[in-house]
Amino acid sequence: MRKVLESILVPVLAVLIALLISAFVIVAIGKNPLQAYAVLVRGAFGSKQAIIDTLIKTTPLILTGLAVGFGFRAGVFNIGAEGQMAMGALIAASIASNFGNIPPVVAIPLTLVIGMGAGAGWAAIAGFLKAKTGAHEVVTTIMLNWITTFVASFMVTGPLATGSGTPKSPEIAASAQLPILMKVGAMELSAGIIISLLAAVFMYVFLNKTTVGYEVKAVGFNPYAAEYGGISVSKNVVLAMAISGALAGLAGVTELMGVHHRFLGELSGGKGFDGISIALIGQNNPIGIIFAALLIGALRTGSNEMQFLGVSKYIVIIVQGIVIFLVAADRIVRTIYLRKKVKS
Amino acid sequence: MKKVLALLLMTLVLTAGFAFKAIMVTDTGGLGDKSFNDGTWAGIQRAAKELGVEAKVIMSNEQSDYIPNLTKAAEEVLKEKDGGIVFAVGFMMQDALEKVARQYPTVYFAGIDISFDKELPNVINFLFKEQESAFLVGYIAAAMTRTGKVGFVGGIPIPPVERFRYGYEAGIKAYMDLKGKKVTVIRGYTNEFSDPKKGKDLANSQFSQGVDIIFAAAGACGNGVIEAAKERTEKLAGKGYENIKKYALSGKPVYYAIGVDVDQDYMAPGVVLTSAMKGIDTAGYYGVMWAYKGQFKGGLKVLGLKENGVRMSEMKYTKEIIDKLAPGAIKELEYLKSLIIEGKVIVPDSEEALKAFTVKGVKLPR
Repeated sequence: MRKVLESILVPVLAVLIALLISAFVIVAIGKNPLQAYAVLVRGAFGSKQAIIDTLIKTTPLILTGLAVGFGFRAGVFNIGAEGQMAMGALIAASIASNFGNIPPVVAIPLTLVIGMGAGAGWAAIAGFLKAKTGAHEVVTTIMLNWITTFVASFMVTGPLATGSGTPKSPEIAASAQLPILMKVGAMELSAGIIISLLAAVFMYVFLNKTTVGYEVKAVGFNPYAAEYGGISVSKNVVLAMAISGALAGLAGVTELMGVHHRFLGELSGGKGFDGISIALIGQNNPIGIIFAALLIGALRTGSNEMQFLGVSKYIVIIVQGIVIFLVAADRIVRTIYLRKKVKS
Repeated sequence: MKKVLALLLMTLVLTAGFAFKAIMVTDTGGLGDKSFNDGTWAGIQRAAKELGVEAKVIMSNEQSDYIPNLTKAAEEVLKEKDGGIVFAVGFMMQDALEKVARQYPTVYFAGIDISFDKELPNVINFLFKEQESAFLVGYIAAAMTRTGKVGFVGGIPIPPVERFRYGYEAGIKAYMDLKGKKVTVIRGYTNEFSDPKKGKDLANSQFSQGVDIIFAAAGACGNGVIEAAKERTEKLAGKGYENIKKYALSGKPVYYAIGVDVDQDYMAPGVVLTSAMKGIDTAGYYGVMWAYKGQFKGGLKVLGLKENGVRMSEMKYTKEIIDKLAPGAIKELEYLKSLIIEGKVIVPDSEEALKAFTVKGVKLPR
């Protein structure tokens, strides 16, 4: 119980301290921090539109957070969520734009599976390279990110480009678009948010209640011990990367099916990297990740409203940076503390 | 302190009378790009100041911000008694602007570089004949190159960027036709608009292939192109405008960059040869003015040389150098410009038109 409380307390404290430090920055630029934060909260939750906006932004962040968090639990550092997310959306977009007459019952799951498969396959390359050659996934996934960037920009300006020449693919078939849960004005909240929550449940059950999940975790915890215990390390490294990639691909494909309905040049927009901070803040716990993603999503949404006060959107990035620093610092402190204990 | 208070009071009094708001929503490039977004914003602010109304800006972090930010801006405008206008800046906001503008038929919108398949009565779509200003800078580049190789660095090959390239290459072709000098163009794209580092890398790679002048139509990436040219020139001539000018005037070869969207000549005096300017500020200015004065009319508005919607910078720092090394070029340019305005020379705006383009019929005045 104490442990649970502690793991909640650290990120919450980190957020409060970060808001406090940023308040000084806001004072320094001559604005009232209380007013700024009030507007921030109102901008994120103050109206139906604001809530929809926040949830739209939170959806992909939950999924990339889960992708990276799952990787951490399995002992792989998947920096490639960005590329896997784009790959998932790109492949799904190129196929799902031809789904003319397929009914939604088939088209929606099929598109989701294609997106996840593309993400999984893309990440599995890095997993395979690690298992077979020992090439570190941090390096290979970054390389794969760049390949994705260039392939994507080639595709949207070349083979996939639509009429007017803006870098975007044609719209996916209406039957492959996610159903809309709520609509206010031009803003539509799709069922993507439910998918992301289900993915969190999946991660929890998989890691805690299944044998395969246990094996993946064991390899992540200590590969030598796991191998000694008869668990194949290379198989599980590939599997861990693939699942992590599937979650990132899911982030891309829900963004495609629920928000943009087409592939755009900068679709992933750094959300894969945000996944790293979210996994850190959420302590790699599925529930923690949901709240961490909600936090970042709300900050982003509210920051747009804050700009009306003349407070820059970068304040929110400062908040995010400080939170991550403090959460990471907590680990540093704990590690030092543990070392000391062991010595004495 | 008192002064500040007085100023605050004054703006309060000034703005209290008019309940009109001009709000600009940027694309992901954001303010500080020293070209596209900053240019529009400058025009909006100028108009707002003249009219004594409020101007605000919302920067978008990511593409999923476009719809909510435009919605927010439209809601703000709706609250005002006398309305206002919402600017969407950048081609990427096309879908979002169309969706939001349909939801708020009583709010005025202006899209910069955004065109619709079906025009809306409450949206002005500002487009530019980028090719016309690029033609002029291309002509100067061809006149000034020492190596016979010039470069082009584009952002994403979207229509406005490509129009800059068509014009640039057409200007070079015109110079070749008229003067019989052989000039080749090396092209490259950064595939984005926000990272100067990418522009710099690409520029350096072109420079090492023998290019000595690069035209950048790549938003903030272009700042990196200018930096690369500056570093290389400074290595030869030393730091400071005076040194660069003296060195260039002595006839020794240096490296140049050509700016885009706004007058970027000041960013590296003597190194930025000229800038192909696009009247985004003009569009911002008139958008606000029209909406305020009730002269707003939706639909497509294409601005070219004739409308003073695109132009070339005044070459404040480089005019002397150009006059010395390419005598007569500026005068020839004035003549060509008049031909374009009269419609006697049509600068190509597509790949096919560029291939067919020629100025063989034109006779330069002696």
